Amino acid sequence: MSELSVNHLLGIKYLNEKDIQLIFETADQFKEVINRPIKKVPSLRDITIANLFFENSTRTKLSFELAEKRLSADVINFSASQSSVKKGETLIDTVNNILSMKVDMVVMRHPNPGAGVFLSKHVNASIVNAGDGAHEHPTQALLDSYSIREKLGDVAGKNVVIVGDILHSRVALSNIFALKLQGANVKVCGPKTLLPTYIESLGVGVETNLRKALEWCDVANMLRVQNERLDISYFPSTREYTQLFGVNKALLDSLSKEIVIMHPGPINRGVEITSDVADSKQSIILNQVENGVAIRMAVIYLLAAKIKQ
Amino acid sequence: MNLIIKSATIIDKTSEHHGSQKDILIENGVITQIATSLENSQNYETISLENLHISQGWFDSSVSLGEPGFEERETIENGLKTAAKSGFTAIAVNPNAHPIADTKADISYLKSKAFGNIVDLHPIGALTNASKSVDLAEVFDMKNAGAVAFGDYQKAVKNPNLLKIALLYADNFDGLVLSFPQEDDIVGKGIVNEGYNSTRLGLKGMPSLAEELHVARDLFLLEYTKGKLHIPTISTAKSVELIRKAKAKGLNVSCSVAIHNLVLTDDELEGFDTNYKVLPPLRTENDRKALIAGIEDGTIDMVTSDHNPIDVEHKKVEFDNALYGTIGLESAFGALQTIFDTETTIKMLSAGKERFGVETSAIAVGQTVNLTLFNPEGSYTFSNEHIHSSSQNSAFLGKKLKGSVYGIVHKNQKLIS
Repeated sequence: MSELSVNHLLGIKYLNEKDIQLIFETADQFKEVINRPIKKVPSLRDITIANLFFENSTRTKLSFELAEKRLSADVINFSASQSSVKKGETLIDTVNNILSMKVDMVVMRHPNPGAGVFLSKHVNASIVNAGDGAHEHPTQALLDSYSIREKLGDVAGKNVVIVGDILHSRVALSNIFALKLQGANVKVCGPKTLLPTYIESLGVGVETNLRKALEWCDVANMLRVQNERLDISYFPSTREYTQLFGVNKALLDSLSKEIVIMHPGPINRGVEITSDVADSKQSIILNQVENGVAIRMAVIYLLAAKIKQ
Repeated sequence: MNLIIKSATIIDKTSEHHGSQKDILIENGVITQIATSLENSQNYETISLENLHISQGWFDSSVSLGEPGFEERETIENGLKTAAKSGFTAIAVNPNAHPIADTKADISYLKSKAFGNIVDLHPIGALTNASKSVDLAEVFDMKNAGAVAFGDYQKAVKNPNLLKIALLYADNFDGLVLSFPQEDDIVGKGIVNEGYNSTRLGLKGMPSLAEELHVARDLFLLEYTKGKLHIPTISTAKSVELIRKAKAKGLNVSCSVAIHNLVLTDDELEGFDTNYKVLPPLRTENDRKALIAGIEDGTIDMVTSDHNPIDVEHKKVEFDNALYGTIGLESAFGALQTIFDTETTIKMLSAGKERFGVETSAIAVGQTVNLTLFNPEGSYTFSNEHIHSSSQNSAFLGKKLKGSVYGIVHKNQKLIS
């Protein structure tokens, strides 16, 4: 039986191409499961999973929780606001306390890059990174690639542009790694103030003209402008951002081909994309959300298989 | 103390005995005889060690100890013992304990705590009160109490006029001003070198530009004031180039580089190991090569371990939350020997004394004994057992180093391990 090359999912950069294919093939089966009248399988009845969210999240947390429950795992939830973190407890202590209650797997979102890697070295559990600072958000990148594969048949050879705040985005980074690994061509597009100076060293192109970027691509992944993450002003106003990097229906219709629009959510309607774009037939935003559950089921299932060994 | 050191190869280019193997007679802390073979007629204690080499005692211009205030990181007593075991007979101690050493009383405290120790402790006084970069501290008063230089440790003098005034004022008494090169607004929230590695790891980067802008600014201020400036721990290729040009112009500037910046690059960050979180950050291979070239052509005056013990509570945490710093005294010699020959290594470990006004003595009859004893051969993997510090935060753990230190003989004392 095929298995993952890793014991944790800390980032896409730690996976190989076969891992991604295995996750996708497993997700295909789970996608079929979650569309049945009884959307649940008993696979992980003996596994307990803790969802540790040290940073706010609604959709990722829901998606993971649903994935875990559909695999029949026991689930406990923990978020920083209700925790001892504020009392000064260290991350290792917090997690070890939870693990003492016989937890097998930890799904963690954390504001610091590398927090998952750090934790994996110090605690005895399988770690799934649900976003660590501006480092990685591997399940998001997997579900994005899975959605492209579903829509266009394959990821290899496709032109994908990631638009927006690349500097602060773990989604962008994980997507770059995932897409490159599968043989896609990747460009980033956004205000130069929000593009990392050395982004080209990752093997991606840079395009600061949105129209040119859209003309080039098969898929545009529109990132959210994360105002809450910006410590200083990187552009004068949201209005100006939208003028330069917002996609509206007129722009979309004026392109020479029909491109696919993606968005990791939550959307700032009218900022990075207008409502008519978000709701258009070119948009696969809601498919991404559905695929997110199947992908997370696959990841958890495959990692649990390694625990059981 | 009376002693005979047997069959020691002398590494000291200023000595007539450089490169030769000699016996050295030490009586009451003074070298009284150097000869190919000495009789031990007085029945003195002898030191005879495998492949023994000796040099002038080593000096480190940037060492942090925790005391007072952060004794959990390091005490003065154990810090000095660590220095001795690592081959250093003199260290300049940074003003980054708590409270920050910015008065005569603070300097006197450090001097008195180290009084009579085998290692000379030379305090660096803060340049500005509490290192807040607002008002000049009483630098002359501190100088009289024993401070050898004045600088705010790893904190930039943000206001250029304040540095201008400091350079002008300290020049009245030949005071050495230290200016840490970092333009804080460019650094922003950066914690590692901005480059390929910071990009792929999602760690916030600080561009080389932040250092170079500050170096350039300080050199303009130095040219204007004609003062005496030391720029501690430069880390980028362009900083080397800027200082090279300033020296060619005749400016009274010196600089140092941290040994970890000479040996390691930001490729080490891959595993988010907080022992590699240092300031200035580990840079690229290109920077590392330029720093080595800067040592070789004399642009960089001295190396430092930039020894900075940090307790495990502030290192065994998420990378963002860890404090900056690595210990370095214990690994200084062995690490330098991986990139330089022994002669260059020794030259760099003995450099900087004159600039910091630290006394030195040659390996010659009639001189006060001030020697480091070492074996330049033998490779080993640096591990926790080689650490003498109270804190274990070493960027060299697991690295292959070359050569080991036996200890020091200084004034009327010896510490050989």
